[in-house]
Amino acid sequence: MAVLSVKGLCKKYKAFELKNVSFELRRGTITGFIGRNGAGKTTTLKALLHFIHPDSGEIRFFGQDIAEHELAVKQKLGFVSGGADYYPMKKLKAITDVTKRFYGEWDDGVYRRYMKLFGLDETKTPKQLSEGMKVKYSLTLALSHHAELLIFDEPTSGLDPVSRDELLDIFLELVEREGVTLLFSTHITADLEKCADDILYIKNGEISAEMPLDDFIAEYRVARFAGEVPNDGRLLGVKRERRGCSALMRAEDLPAEGAEVSDATLEEIMVHLEKE
Amino acid sequence: MKNLLLKEWRLALHPAALLFLCLSSMLLIPSYPYFVIFFYTCLGLFFICLSGRENKDIYYTMLLPASKRGIVAARFLLAILIELLQFAAAIPFALLHNALYSAPNAAGMNVNTAFFGFAFLLIGLFNLVFFPKYYRNPNKVGMPFLFGCLAFAAGMTAVEAGRFALPAIDAYLNAQGTQNLPYQLAALAAGAALWALFTLIAYRRSAKSFEAFDL
Repeated sequence: MAVLSVKGLCKKYKAFELKNVSFELRRGTITGFIGRNGAGKTTTLKALLHFIHPDSGEIRFFGQDIAEHELAVKQKLGFVSGGADYYPMKKLKAITDVTKRFYGEWDDGVYRRYMKLFGLDETKTPKQLSEGMKVKYSLTLALSHHAELLIFDEPTSGLDPVSRDELLDIFLELVEREGVTLLFSTHITADLEKCADDILYIKNGEISAEMPLDDFIAEYRVARFAGEVPNDGRLLGVKRERRGCSALMRAEDLPAEGAEVSDATLEEIMVHLEKE
Repeated sequence: MKNLLLKEWRLALHPAALLFLCLSSMLLIPSYPYFVIFFYTCLGLFFICLSGRENKDIYYTMLLPASKRGIVAARFLLAILIELLQFAAAIPFALLHNALYSAPNAAGMNVNTAFFGFAFLLIGLFNLVFFPKYYRNPNKVGMPFLFGCLAFAAGMTAVEAGRFALPAIDAYLNAQGTQNLPYQLAALAAGAALWALFTLIAYRRSAKSFEAFDL
């Protein structure tokens, strides 16, 4: 049974449409949810959390439909956005005291352990915390009620490289030790190369790729041209670079005449595909 | 519901809403349009909803395992509590007012039992207009408050104008103190019943609107 299964999710707005979004999350994996700004990442996450009403489609967490079992599902769900930006002037202690009462599985021992591990002080307010610490506080709340699935919306945006790396280490450890499943929306693709097992790529409101990250990266190569780019239908998303041009190619379409071919990074794949 | 109520009390409650309870002491002003005291109650509720928007209260609460209907119900219970506390705080000042002043109120209705019935009606009108509009989109608090204020002001004007238009009724209900008490008690009961009815209708409409709202 998939931890999360989404089938045929549609939501139409005036200027944007989520089209037939379907995907599944495997237990104990980290799935990177990528796409450029406005591609539909946040709208999809909002639908998952039942913040918006999809026009059609089915969302099942742990085999249960979110529309029918919202409260039971949310007991096992942890959501961490760019940091706790709610009640910025209230002390963490007050927020925790209120939050914990909603969860049957709340574990004070786990809460204290993570607060200590992350160096969080309960007498501070979210406003007094750095962006990284805010994410860690949200994460502590999610872990303290033994969430089986953690959904992150841009958790590393606004963090310095060291804090980002530290957080990714925590993610890896969580999956390894606690067996939780992570869905991780970001546009910082380098983060996913470090920790993601699977990739979910959304473009213009449609899922354009859902597969293991390594397979996704192995599908493409970057071809660099010193001068003009030949008119070749196999070249995807041609763009200018400091010296010459570059384009993306499918690995099976190689070789490319006059090109210097190298392995592609996730960022390169995304940048080129978005130019298509 | 207990957990959501605790959330309302510990996180959502704006201190101004409690501070405005002290304004029941305005009943000690010798002459004043005393219904204005209950306008401050409405202002306190507006502050709670406004600070909720700034503090992302709905976003926070929606992440918790709590139903949308429960979220609305908890806010209504907080509002009802504040409204009733305003009345509770006003009673001793009303008694003191009548003990201190023998002259009638030159600026509006006298302070008596019927006065509180009309105050219930005005707050009920505010609840009926403000909350359903607010829950249609909780990111917009200003316009619902404006309409709520207009309903309150229209009700207040109608009550004060009615006293002049219907002197017979005024004689029964605008007494200083406890004259014609049965009539005054009937006005209080009717006002409280309408407040309860309007608030119940407001809750049902609000819960329905909020259920359909996309965050």
